[in-house]
Amino acid sequence: MRRNGLASLVSIVVLAIGGLGWTLAAENEPLLGLDLQGGVSVVLEPTGEFDESAIPQAIEIIRQRVDGIGVAEPEITRQDDAIVVQLPGIADRDQALELVGQTAELRFRPVLQLLPPGLEGLELPGEEPAGEPDADEPDTDEPDADEPDADDEQGFGLAPGELAAPLQAEDPTESDPAPDEPTLTPPAGQDPAELTPPAPPAPTTGVEDLELTSSDDDDPDQPVTLGEFDDDGNEVARYRLGPAAATGEILSSANARIEQLGQWTVGVQIRGDRIADFNVIAGECFNGGPSCPTRQLAIVLDGRVVSAPSINAPSFDADGISISGDFSEGEAKDLALVLRYGSLPVELVAQQTQSVSASIGQDALDAGVLAGLIGLALVTVYMLVYYRLLGMVAMLSLAVSAALLWTMIAWLGSSQGLALTLAGVTGIILSIGVAVDSNVVFYEHLKEEVAGGRSLRAAIDGSFASAFSTIVKADVASLIGAGILYWLTVGPVRGFALFLGLATLLDLISSYFFMRPLALILVKSKRLQNRPRLFGMPTPKVDRGLAIDEGAPA
Amino acid sequence: MSVRSKLASFDNDIDFPRLWRIGAVVSLVLLLLSGGALVGRGLNLGIDFEGGTAWEVQAPDASVADAREVLTPLGLGNAKIQFVGGDNLRVQAEPGDDAGLAEVTVALAELAGADRTDVAISTVGPTWGDEILEKAQRALIVFFVLIAAYIAVRLEWKMAVGALAAVVHDILIVIGFYAVFQLEVTPATVIAILTIMGYSLYDTIVVFDKAQANAERPALAQKMNYTDLMSLSLNQVLMRSINTSITSLLPVLSMLFVGSFLLGAVTLQEFAYALAVGLGIGAYSSIFVATPIVAWLKEREPQQQNLRQRLEAQSARRTGQPVAATVSPSEPRPAGTAPLLSGRVIPPRPRKKGKRR
Repeated sequence: MRRNGLASLVSIVVLAIGGLGWTLAAENEPLLGLDLQGGVSVVLEPTGEFDESAIPQAIEIIRQRVDGIGVAEPEITRQDDAIVVQLPGIADRDQALELVGQTAELRFRPVLQLLPPGLEGLELPGEEPAGEPDADEPDTDEPDADEPDADDEQGFGLAPGELAAPLQAEDPTESDPAPDEPTLTPPAGQDPAELTPPAPPAPTTGVEDLELTSSDDDDPDQPVTLGEFDDDGNEVARYRLGPAAATGEILSSANARIEQLGQWTVGVQIRGDRIADFNVIAGECFNGGPSCPTRQLAIVLDGRVVSAPSINAPSFDADGISISGDFSEGEAKDLALVLRYGSLPVELVAQQTQSVSASIGQDALDAGVLAGLIGLALVTVYMLVYYRLLGMVAMLSLAVSAALLWTMIAWLGSSQGLALTLAGVTGIILSIGVAVDSNVVFYEHLKEEVAGGRSLRAAIDGSFASAFSTIVKADVASLIGAGILYWLTVGPVRGFALFLGLATLLDLISSYFFMRPLALILVKSKRLQNRPRLFGMPTPKVDRGLAIDEGAPA
Repeated sequence: MSVRSKLASFDNDIDFPRLWRIGAVVSLVLLLLSGGALVGRGLNLGIDFEGGTAWEVQAPDASVADAREVLTPLGLGNAKIQFVGGDNLRVQAEPGDDAGLAEVTVALAELAGADRTDVAISTVGPTWGDEILEKAQRALIVFFVLIAAYIAVRLEWKMAVGALAAVVHDILIVIGFYAVFQLEVTPATVIAILTIMGYSLYDTIVVFDKAQANAERPALAQKMNYTDLMSLSLNQVLMRSINTSITSLLPVLSMLFVGSFLLGAVTLQEFAYALAVGLGIGAYSSIFVATPIVAWLKEREPQQQNLRQRLEAQSARRTGQPVAATVSPSEPRPAGTAPLLSGRVIPPRPRKKGKRR
């Protein structure tokens, strides 16, 4: 029993110190929540009817958009049906809302002209000059002043013999493969027609046509200039596009599939009642008509060209369209996803947005830490005064719990992306009290026995057994509470519940493996044995001449 | 001998059943106050529950009047403008369109002499709060069911009833406190209230566990009725309750102090109010609500009724008083009679089986 005690004492201390060492070595650090480091958080909720699978899809799409603007460590999580987007370090609330809140529309735009991809500093759609307040909602936007002039309207007839600029990525840093030119073909059974070379570019009217159109000016009824980007955000192609001929709603589904030759293609189904509309565009493009001189139809999502397949047949069956190109499996699946859910599959409404500046976050963190330290100091003083040596055991036990808790928080923050919010900090501050409570329960039990005339030595084992059973009951009740809070609530409540629950669990562990053996060792040590006052113990009633009707075993 | 040293050396012999009657009156008054304030004044709900927009910026040199002057032309003349936690200027507007949001932000930033991004903005849709509340309610119900089951299994169902009654009592009074003082109810408040439940239970379970242990000792259980047994148990664990409450309360008080006086960390303050009140009430209710309810329920058991009559008969024989046929448990003990067994005596603990070291 005593050997066990010492072993568990040593092992838990080693564990705590090892945990701290590992945390330092692995450079794990708690991930600070937005309220502590500044940033924007948005809680989006679906409205109207939606499919169960719509939420994960929406999260995926939002993640792509957020990655597009290069936020460090964005957090996009699901809580029930709500989607919580946290963008640390972004101070501009409007930009964040624009980014995640809109249900972007998938649009089919005929390609008017191929342009060389931008070689100048890449300017992504949706990015605005920093520091310029922008409260414009895109939908209230006036069409921009660069209305196409009459030249543009019909000026796409090409002088014969003009050749298109060769289409290739000219990124100086990477040699991107030239973008594949996917083709839109009729169902298997018909030979796909030969890929026609892209039509020569139309003379452009001005430099603004060569520039990427900003997201605010991405008007479905106007020609625009948009780019196609690879996964790293490098522009691989740029297109001058005509007004949108159709939106994603004409599609009923899209799936990646593998053809006989081991090539990945994307099969597309158009809604039966809309196939006629689609065929109007397809016919136009197939014939290289004035509104679709390149015979390519671009699929545009969120102001980016996802793909621009050539149209290889004058008309299609609703369920017999496939987009083929030099796709890898991943590319085909991504394209199918975009086609299926290009518009967010569900309309999302921002229920709650919060933006916190970095300085306010820092203040909150400082206050939390300070409050915690003061609270800890007060509890330490109280315990030491009241329980003397045992109070010291309590505080050491708290230190062990704290080391383990810190290890866990840092690990959760570094590897699980679990942020520590102010609510979490509060939970931790509160847990100081919880951790000390179990010590109090034990010591009071002990004092009761000692007051009844037992020696500390004789009392300690029995006291711990009965005190521990109380502690387990009370802690389990707390754990049930924390668990329910964690499962059934949203937002800050969860963080709070998690840390409180962790602290409670650690309290159980350190009570059993640290407090008990250490108290035992102290009580049984020869030097301290006959000095109950050191332990804050009462003088036994027998000594005070009080009646006692019990022969306490010595 | 001072009260404290009496407590510390287990000489306390507090007649809890008599205090319970006072406690019942106190609780009733508090509950009525809470109910009255809730109906009369209602709760001061923050924007998280009402919907709307709140701006917050550190504006040490501005005043509320300045802010109102700046905001009136922007159509926010009747917005709620206040300083929270020192020099944090907080402006709250009703839910409406977001059109003027940016202008307000810029105006406030100018007023405070800060950058536009230093203004913390939070916008909440009108249905968000309902959702938080709905989730909290659901959590509450599941919590009640599970905790009741747990206590019923580990202790007994009557104790589960007592414990939950105490929890409900605590929650009502804390909410009432918010209504009386018109403190703003935020999600932090909801968290705090849910936490209080856990605390309240912790205390209550410590008392019940002791009572259960005492009830299992024939030496005690045969000598006194359940009410006195509870009173004895309370006396035995009183110091425990006081100390656990103090150690829990110290960090909360520190939060309250730091949050309100030093750094203007408003969220901390919001948490701390509810927690401080809740902890106090939780400690109180485990003694004055949970315990008497269980005692009252237990006294209704036929076994207890018999015991009671036997004890009455015994004491009547000793004192030569006529025996009342049956004494209803809710009837007070005749004044002046001490509890049958004082907390001063520690009964022998039953010999444990197994090795003795």
